Amino acid sequence: MRERPQQSYLGKIILIAWREFRHTALTKGFIFGAVALPVIMFGVIAVIPKLLTEKSPPLVGEIVVIDPTGTVLPRAQEILARKRTLQEKIQDLAETPPADTGSRLEAAAELGSQEEQRIEVTWRAAAEGETADGLKALLAKGSLIAGASIGADALDPSKEASSFELFIPSSLSPKHVGQVSRALRKAVEEERIARSGVDKALLARLSDLPAPRTLRISPEGSEAKENTELRFIVPAAFMFLLWICVFTSANYLLTTTIEEKSNKVMEVLLAAASPMQLLAGKILGYSAVSAVMLVMYGGLGVAGLSAAAMMDLVPVLHLVYLGIFFIMAYFMVASMMSAVGSAVSDLREAQSLVGPVMMVLVVPLMLWMPIVQNPNGMLATIAGFVPPATPFVMILRLTAATEPIPLWQTIASIVWGFACAFGMLWLAARIFRVGVLMQGKPPTPRELVKWAFVR
Amino acid sequence: MSVLQSPSPRANASPAGNAVRIERVTKRFGSVQAVKGISLEIPERSLCGFLGPNGAGKSTTIRMIMSIISPDSGSVEVLGSSALAMKDRIGYLPEERGLYRKMKVAEFVGYMARLKGVHPTGLTRRIEDWLERLALPGVSKRRCEELSKGQQQKIQLLASIIHAPDLLILDEPFSGLDPINGRLVTDLIRSEQARGATIIFSTHQMHTAEALCDKVVLINKGEKVLDATLAELRAQHDDRGLVCEPRGNPREFAEKALRSGIASDTRVHDNGTVDIELSDAHDASSAMAAVLAIAPMRSVALRRMNLDDLFVELVGAEDGQSRKGARIDA
Repeated sequence: MRERPQQSYLGKIILIAWREFRHTALTKGFIFGAVALPVIMFGVIAVIPKLLTEKSPPLVGEIVVIDPTGTVLPRAQEILARKRTLQEKIQDLAETPPADTGSRLEAAAELGSQEEQRIEVTWRAAAEGETADGLKALLAKGSLIAGASIGADALDPSKEASSFELFIPSSLSPKHVGQVSRALRKAVEEERIARSGVDKALLARLSDLPAPRTLRISPEGSEAKENTELRFIVPAAFMFLLWICVFTSANYLLTTTIEEKSNKVMEVLLAAASPMQLLAGKILGYSAVSAVMLVMYGGLGVAGLSAAAMMDLVPVLHLVYLGIFFIMAYFMVASMMSAVGSAVSDLREAQSLVGPVMMVLVVPLMLWMPIVQNPNGMLATIAGFVPPATPFVMILRLTAATEPIPLWQTIASIVWGFACAFGMLWLAARIFRVGVLMQGKPPTPRELVKWAFVR
Repeated sequence: MSVLQSPSPRANASPAGNAVRIERVTKRFGSVQAVKGISLEIPERSLCGFLGPNGAGKSTTIRMIMSIISPDSGSVEVLGSSALAMKDRIGYLPEERGLYRKMKVAEFVGYMARLKGVHPTGLTRRIEDWLERLALPGVSKRRCEELSKGQQQKIQLLASIIHAPDLLILDEPFSGLDPINGRLVTDLIRSEQARGATIIFSTHQMHTAEALCDKVVLINKGEKVLDATLAELRAQHDDRGLVCEPRGNPREFAEKALRSGIASDTRVHDNGTVDIELSDAHDASSAMAAVLAIAPMRSVALRRMNLDDLFVELVGAEDGQSRKGARIDA
């Protein structure tokens, strides 16, 4: 029999990996998704507040106030008419309840707004004998945009602060409700201060205490300005970056494996390469896709922090950890996705098998806050050793730690994590070699286990 | 079960030996025993037809030859080595066709060629030449999904032969092809054999197998029921039967032929012809003379071996069916 060149074992793996990479990462769809989409997202984030303020509708109509003292109404009128200072806007934002997302968003949007809203409100004191019920009837008819009833107790500084009643028609927008409510509340507040005899300016000076200048002192003695928000955001950014990069490419792996099965191209490939070569090539190819995303998004983040002179938030060691846990996370998730992809014939069938795995993998997303708040706590420590959540939890712990995580835990999680990743890869390879040739109904989890140990 | 074996398979093998050698191979899928101890040898440079009804075990046997699946027991030797080691020297067209739909034609064929060890130098030219030869000029830059079903089939066939394999396995290569493309593929198979490749193909088209094959293997219910060269089959079946068209009642003629000892078995067809299986007492010439003596005839001819009939006989016997026509036994 004549001799002829053959493709080497590794050569086939590289060829398969290159095809998968090329047909995923070098496509218009991927470039659009990976590059253009984040740009569009940033653009949308920048434009939305502007759109919110530009479309601010005018506040026009009549407001009637039952104000026996006759002192609140003029104050409210003056407060609503005057342009609010930035400080007041910030205070409004701070005072809006966190659950009231709509109002918070509006308050936040108003911070950057320079536009003057048209306000044409006629304030009227309630006539003698005019009651709250009478105001309600006028509101129901659409004659007023608001009505308020301020009891005498609300203005008495010697008594516990009691609020007032505000009546609005169902058509009044939340933004306008906020504006009217704020004006009346501030008017009552000012009247109470005035009646107490306290100097308002002095009170403002005394109570308006700026936030302390917090400095974090490192063990080496260096000082760094504390930024509490970023201490929460940076670990989350690390974890989400890991999650997005790993899951995007693992999802590609899942869908292309299913596609190759349903297109019947799998048998053609298996005539040229062994299941192990095919699996290795696919996993390697999509690891490159994932790495491209990690470098691209991670690089953008690092460049941004560097430009803002905030690189102290991301030490080099954290980037090394990111690399290590990225490899671990990718192999864990890719193993599962390739095994599932080989076992089913369409995406719908895959959902039922991927579901339980996803439940474990969303744990780090749900436990993000408690882990960051207490990275050395019991919950964080245990979650850091539960695969496949290990890499995601560990990157949270390591980047969030205000006090160092014991070295043994870091080393143990890396060793344990990679042992689990290789175990999962082995199982996936066993399932893959059986699954790729199977057609018909999807296997049960029990059958999957059987496939893993069949000869 | 009666198995028609060639008297000595090795005697028919080329001096170089067998391209495929399978010994007592079995394969079970759950409760189904797909292959039950099949043994066979396929000589190098031969053209072997794998015949059998649907679900007989042909594709499973082919997949084991391709090392896509492993046998539960028995051994498979391909091109003198293990099937896995010889993957790059085998070309395979599976029964269920598969292409990367979004890939361009030349890219897909090139990818398969590279996986089989073809050096990239000159590969593009080689693909273009093949596309011309397959009457597919100008499709190299088109996506596979843009081609017609017949064109896609030819692309898949090209992907299986682009690396000039020593063993070419084609599972139903003619299904879905029009007569013109069918002829083109027939010519291609012949030219591949002339190049020196051993070819195994499975088909349901008996006339194609008869026209192309040196050897046929018939598999039914996971067992081999026939393994012989076409020459052996003809020697066994030709000259042992006559096709007679009597002027009178064909049924009466058939009974006369049996009574007179000319026939051991007869079969009366709707078109008025009668097949006669010759008794041991007669050869073809004496039987012809005897037939003409017992009844006036429109025509008497020697019956040629027909794979279609053989297939129905061997497979139908298993299923309790028989060849078309009323049978009158001695």
